[in-house]
Amino acid sequence: MLKKIIMILVALSTLYGTAWAETKIVFATDATWPPMEFVNAQKQIVGFSVDFLKAAGKEAGFTPVFKNTAWDGIFAGLAAGKYDAISSSVSITEQRKKAMDFSEPYFTVRQALIVPKSSSAKTLADLKGKKVGGQIGTTGYFAIKEVKGVIPKSYDEIGLAMEDLNVGRIDAVVCDDPVAANYALDKYKDKLKIAAVLKTDKVENYGFAVKKGNKKILDLLNRGIEAVKAKGIDQQLKKKWIGQ
Amino acid sequence: MSDQKQKIEIGDGAAIPDPEDKGLISAWWIALIGTVSLLIILPLLKPDPYARILSFVPDGILVTFKVTIASISLALVIGLLTGLGRLSKNRFINLVASLYVEIVRGVPLLVQLFYIYFALGRIVRVPDIVAAVIAMAFCYGAYMGEVFRAGIKSIDHGQTEASLSLGFNRRQTMAYVVLPQAWRTILPPVGNEFIALLKDTSLVSILAVADILRRGREYASESFNYFETYTMIALIYLLITLVLSRLIANMEHRLSHYERR
Repeated sequence: MLKKIIMILVALSTLYGTAWAETKIVFATDATWPPMEFVNAQKQIVGFSVDFLKAAGKEAGFTPVFKNTAWDGIFAGLAAGKYDAISSSVSITEQRKKAMDFSEPYFTVRQALIVPKSSSAKTLADLKGKKVGGQIGTTGYFAIKEVKGVIPKSYDEIGLAMEDLNVGRIDAVVCDDPVAANYALDKYKDKLKIAAVLKTDKVENYGFAVKKGNKKILDLLNRGIEAVKAKGIDQQLKKKWIGQ
Repeated sequence: MSDQKQKIEIGDGAAIPDPEDKGLISAWWIALIGTVSLLIILPLLKPDPYARILSFVPDGILVTFKVTIASISLALVIGLLTGLGRLSKNRFINLVASLYVEIVRGVPLLVQLFYIYFALGRIVRVPDIVAAVIAMAFCYGAYMGEVFRAGIKSIDHGQTEASLSLGFNRRQTMAYVVLPQAWRTILPPVGNEFIALLKDTSLVSILAVADILRRGREYASESFNYFETYTMIALIYLLITLVLSRLIANMEHRLSHYERR
């Protein structure tokens, strides 16, 4: 009898718990972008943006739930309403703003050029007639395409581009600088180096993307971002994940 | 020659249209006319994005054809060797050929592509398209081997006996008597495999080979026109396979000349 009562109580408490839980926001994330978001050895999605959102959620009163989603098609899923938002190191661009709404910026990046240790290339222009890789649909890949004479090559994941650079099928890779640092200074540090940070006239910022017109989630996110920045939590997280 | 009518039912290519069906209202004609008209009407009605997508993918079509033709040629050679190997009386050759077929059939094509590209890429450095062709041919060679084996086996043993009694040795018998006859049974399923292979080359887009699908994905990832892009990509593939399946049907019809007499 006692057992039954306890079980009923437990069942009730879980129901009660979910009913009164804070707002859940489901984020799509392409967890192949270390150190911003990636899958660790315990198969959990971790990284700067994950910690950032957990902190923002505490401040603004929401629980982030992460859904690992392939980058190619991540925006289509948002439009189709498969998740509430995207947290996947999405740079805010004019083109993307037409298709979705963005939160306040939460991180500033630049594009870095990664080459093999032996290469003397310093800019993309030095790589005329050579193959340069980037992840499909990223600002890094768009930067490659803008330079005439360079052969752009798009990959599904940045890690595959790095591996192709490592074995010598391509001559350089362009991607966001924290990711570049993760690969060139850590994983492939014996073979690759960061040749340069590309000069652009525009500042590139990451934002969380929501479906166009989803004001409710956007306000919640912005409140969280503001609080995290005001408390200096983002600086701590930078130190933890990026080391600067 | 009593076994001549035996047909080989292997492969997952397109449905081959029946060459006897001369009517205009067949599934093939409806599909072809629908595909062609959509490919023409959509870009005319809405040039942005449909016409832009069409102008973005042509080099991808070329790559798809290159990969397909190179792969099928290599797969035919591998297939012939495997087919003969599987029928060989030499235990060792037989074992090697059978082992190859077992391995290839047991590993998904996508995994084979990744394996040859990334895993073997660490050992031998081959350009991306070459790696894609090797992987496709390696896979399809095994299936092709089964087609060849079945085709050769479909030739009555009496042919071999007659040829041997006429003084041909085993190799000459195979080259001058059995294979020329088996070819007729083998060709249609080979055509089928060709279409299946063409469709499967869309998998190589995963290896950053700029084929039709890759070009479409690149376009969609930049413009967010997912629906329009993949509609066009599907139509382009459909048009290619429809035309090819008709060509193969006509070829099959011609080859069955002797059966129908």
